[in-house]
Amino acid sequence: MKIKGLIVAGALATATIMSSPAHANRDYISIVGSSTVYPFATVVAEQFGKTTQFKTPKIESTGSGGGLKLFCAGVGVDHPDITNASRAIKKSEQEKCAANGIKDIVEVKIGYDGIVLANSKKADPMQLTRKDIFLALAKDVPMDGKLVPNPYMTWKDVNSALPATKIEVLGPPPTSGTRDAFVELVMEEGVEEVDMSGISDEVKEKFEPGALREDGAYVEAGENDNLIVQKLQANPDALGIFGFSFLDQNADVIQGSIIEGESPTFENIAAGKYPVSRPLFFYVKKAHVGTIPGIAEYLAEFASEKAWGPEGYLADKGMIPMPDAERKQFADDVKNLKPMAMK
Amino acid sequence: MYFSYLLPAILLLGISGFFFGRSKAIRVANTQGGIQELHSLPNHYGMLTGLAVLLPALLLYGLWISIETSVVDKRIVNELPAELLEDTGTVSLYLNDIKNTLAGNITVSKDPEIGRAAERYAKIKRNYRSIVTAAVFALMLVFAAVTYQSISAKLRARNLVETVIKAILILCSAVAIFTTLGIVLSVLFEAIRFFQVIPLQEFLFGLTWSPQMAIRADQVGSSGAFGAVPVFAGTFMIAAIAMLVAIPIGLLSAIYLSEFANRKFRTMVKPMLEILAGIPTVVYGFFAALTVAPLIRNMGGFFGLSVASESAMAAGLVMGIMIIPFVSSLSDDVIHAVPQTLRDGSYGLGATKFETVRYVIFPAALPGIVGGILLAVSRAVGETMIVVMAAGLAANLTANPFQAVTTVTVQIVTLLVGDQEFDSPKTLAAFALGLVLFVFTLILNFIALRVVRKYREQYE
Amino acid sequence: MQPTESTNAFSPEFNQRLKRRYRAEQSFKLMGIGAIFIALAFLVFLLSTILMSGYSAFKQTYIKLDVTLDKEYFPDEDLAKGDFQGIVKASLYSMFPEVSGRRDKRMLNNLVSKGAAFKLMDMVEADPKLIGTSFSIWVPAKDDVDMLMKGNIDMDQPEANRRIKDKQYERIRTLEYGGRLQMRFNKTFFTSGDSREPELAGILSAAKGSFYTLVITLLLSFPMGVAAAIYLEEFAPDNTFTDLIEININNLAAVPSIIFGLLGLAIFINFWGIPRSTPLVGGLVLTLMTLPTIIIAARASLKSVPPSIREAALGVGASKIQTVFHHVLPLALPGMLTGTIIGMAQALGETAPLLMIGMVAFIVDIPGGFTDPAAALPVQIYLWADSPERAFTEKTSAAIIILLGFLILMNAVAVYMRKKFEIKW
Repeated sequence: MKIKGLIVAGALATATIMSSPAHANRDYISIVGSSTVYPFATVVAEQFGKTTQFKTPKIESTGSGGGLKLFCAGVGVDHPDITNASRAIKKSEQEKCAANGIKDIVEVKIGYDGIVLANSKKADPMQLTRKDIFLALAKDVPMDGKLVPNPYMTWKDVNSALPATKIEVLGPPPTSGTRDAFVELVMEEGVEEVDMSGISDEVKEKFEPGALREDGAYVEAGENDNLIVQKLQANPDALGIFGFSFLDQNADVIQGSIIEGESPTFENIAAGKYPVSRPLFFYVKKAHVGTIPGIAEYLAEFASEKAWGPEGYLADKGMIPMPDAERKQFADDVKNLKPMAMK
Repeated sequence: MYFSYLLPAILLLGISGFFFGRSKAIRVANTQGGIQELHSLPNHYGMLTGLAVLLPALLLYGLWISIETSVVDKRIVNELPAELLEDTGTVSLYLNDIKNTLAGNITVSKDPEIGRAAERYAKIKRNYRSIVTAAVFALMLVFAAVTYQSISAKLRARNLVETVIKAILILCSAVAIFTTLGIVLSVLFEAIRFFQVIPLQEFLFGLTWSPQMAIRADQVGSSGAFGAVPVFAGTFMIAAIAMLVAIPIGLLSAIYLSEFANRKFRTMVKPMLEILAGIPTVVYGFFAALTVAPLIRNMGGFFGLSVASESAMAAGLVMGIMIIPFVSSLSDDVIHAVPQTLRDGSYGLGATKFETVRYVIFPAALPGIVGGILLAVSRAVGETMIVVMAAGLAANLTANPFQAVTTVTVQIVTLLVGDQEFDSPKTLAAFALGLVLFVFTLILNFIALRVVRKYREQYE
Repeated sequence: MQPTESTNAFSPEFNQRLKRRYRAEQSFKLMGIGAIFIALAFLVFLLSTILMSGYSAFKQTYIKLDVTLDKEYFPDEDLAKGDFQGIVKASLYSMFPEVSGRRDKRMLNNLVSKGAAFKLMDMVEADPKLIGTSFSIWVPAKDDVDMLMKGNIDMDQPEANRRIKDKQYERIRTLEYGGRLQMRFNKTFFTSGDSREPELAGILSAAKGSFYTLVITLLLSFPMGVAAAIYLEEFAPDNTFTDLIEININNLAAVPSIIFGLLGLAIFINFWGIPRSTPLVGGLVLTLMTLPTIIIAARASLKSVPPSIREAALGVGASKIQTVFHHVLPLALPGMLTGTIIGMAQALGETAPLLMIGMVAFIVDIPGGFTDPAAALPVQIYLWADSPERAFTEKTSAAIIILLGFLILMNAVAVYMRKKFEIKW
């Protein structure tokens, strides 16, 4: 009889599962995108979920590039409503979106983030220029009128003023917006200051300053910024590339390198003095607003002063707020759901 | 929502079918001079009737449940205004809106059109469900009537019931085959698509692995090389370190426990060793990344070695610890299988325990131990969380265990978590790696199981 | 070997050799003990590291606030829109009236968690009559304060490098001496979902996600595993089909778990269209993964039932099926259940396949069913290990302690059942 009892219990349990209605509909917001914006978006989402009747949005951290790719795949419940990005959407991505029927995208700039090169507090802080960084990390560097694979092994080889430690930089993979921003703000700026004389224009044209070394000096460490922090702590010679918020949270164990004479502090980045800072965004599908419950309210929460203002809770998490005028303008855009123009 | 009561109703009718069938059988028997005149027990007639009621009805019900959404969606889409139909995305959003309205969720939409569509949707669904319910009941009725009619003293009810039960048992056993098939199919197709872009020989013999291709035309990524040799090399290095830890410790403790230790020590220590196998791998990963890796680095610094922060050593060491109980319990089994007569013979010749182990038991158990070790290797190669958390992404081709290396499983995870577009070689590469991993462990397991089984039979 | 002078049982050479042989024996024994010692030392090291860094997460620093719920904080009909943050701030300012200036005020406000406002909101929503009254409540402190109280912040560091500044430190001490700061049992950790604020983060949503996933796994894998084992052990004819099944089961038991994740991604999600990140798809994947374990355990259990039972049943005229279901299965069932519990314990600790099917999302809401997005306990551990706030390291270890607790419980039940129902034939 024991067995029969078990069978009956199992059948009943299966029956209850099967008869619970299968929801094919989605009643929560689906968000993907940048791992840099992830900590900020999750804070807003949590606040939103706790203070409204809507469900807390589901947020997956996929990297800016990966997020925009998912976002632009189409309109409909199977596709995310919002994607976070630590760089502006590219023209090619916008075209892909349009090709997939996503006509109106609302662009919301939420604030700024500094990109820092940090090392362990056990070592001395580095004083770098963008040229130094370029020479240390570029795949090919100009030398004696030719482009050669990067020969530098230590920082001292790059610039005699720097210590003779091995070049070892932990940084993000190409799916990451931080990588894009780093290439744009550091590598492409740094190459301008390098002596390119003697190199033919033809070679120069083909030269990609954004290509990073693949011989072990630049270590692609994934989207997991926290593990990078742990690893820096363990390895005082290594530098890590990540967003300011991680430096801010871990200021007792790691320190930011001084770049072009400016140290990465909240004030310096907010004032625009620190050279390597980039805006953070998120993108919303206008077609989804009004059909997926809660999007408009989520946007309102994000664009409120108590969230993204200078005294807001996002600043506490290490996001650098926009100047007042810019904030007001974007808050208006959010309210009116003003779609962005084609680039 | 009477439809949600349909399943319980089917079950209920099935049970009552059982009782009807049984009582009819008893009645039939009584007219013919008692139960012994029946071919089978009354219960079997009951079960036959019950199954006849249940099985077809459940099949129909299950079929409907699985296609309901798509059928109803299709009907409502056909009725939508033409201008909505131009764009599949809008249609799906519109449907979502309708369903959210129906489910009583807070919707922002105040569109009366949606409300009407929702009512219409509910009505269509109701109609379909009425038809299905009617069909299910008709089916049950027909089958019940036919079976009920056919109940007679001659009906071989037990054999019929047993055939059905056996069929269900076979079906359940075949799930293993379906699973393997599913794995092969899901991995193989994507892998073939990958090999259409990247030639097989480049994948298997190429020396650079740098799958981080640019994902947009105007982005500068890495060069996108898919030579998997460094990945395989890294996997084997970590597995080798793990085995270097696990084999001596596991084997020695197994021999000690089975040949030297007294019973009390054995019953106390063995479960404690097994705990090591029960700890989830994510815990080992956390431990490896945050405790062991810095420890090794500091020790390396002390001896003047340059140790990468995500060295193969840390991951391998911790993985070795995890595998110890695996090696020890497999060798324990094998050592136990060595017949006592061999030991007695050795002792009789005056050998010490160590000599008996060294010259008699170990050689006798060797094939089995090798099989067990092969199984442990296959586990080390396929282990994921420890390496994801403690080993790196950098595909270095190196023989230095203090350098960072990457493994097959790490690459699968990093390639698939996040960016999920199924058209770039980058994502497909994960499936190609998965295929290699599957085939490799399959071969290893196959050999190991053959060895172990052959060895066991030797003494039985 | 030639019998020579030296093999004489009492010659000095013999004694020497005997000594050597015993030495070899001794050193081998020592090696064996050493191996066991190393393995156990690692176990102790691992568990103690995790216990040491995790136990403190079960306590949490609370601050006592005197709040006044003036009507002016509730301008809107909707009580949830009240300015609860303002109430908390006002209470803090009344305690430290000397604080002025934006920076200073912000530093003060950062002593109290955002959870304080949520707590007030819940209270007011439960009982709107509270508006207009004053009372004092204990609210959670910010994670930095908590870390300080647990001794994880080094006050000897220069001020700029600390998360707690000198002024804040002073105020924390003032609160402490005034009896307004207390370490209490951290109930939140067990009753709430994930959060970005370490002091508000809990494991309930992950635990429930794991629970739903395991329910699916159990309901599918136990009946199927037992049925398959019965067929293979009792009925299967000796043919190619049976061999094929056997080979498959043995191989699947050793296939890396991540491969099952690939299967789930390609077939359950991309082909069948089951929603990502749900216990349903997680349960299906884990079912396929644990099935071989259960089948193997169930077969061993059936094997241990002596043939005499079967022969006796067959001898009195029972059919093969009757023999198995009426006589063999009841005797084998305890063993099967034990094997199933161990399989479930494995499934509970499994992470890798769940990463493939999207169960790594940020989930705050506690899942209420099999198709709600959910995380699982081990995945939550993986996610927390990745969070920037330092306080999460402690939470990660605490979550590991909980997970290990569940596993130990399950295994203990299995061992108990094995002991209780063990039949010596």
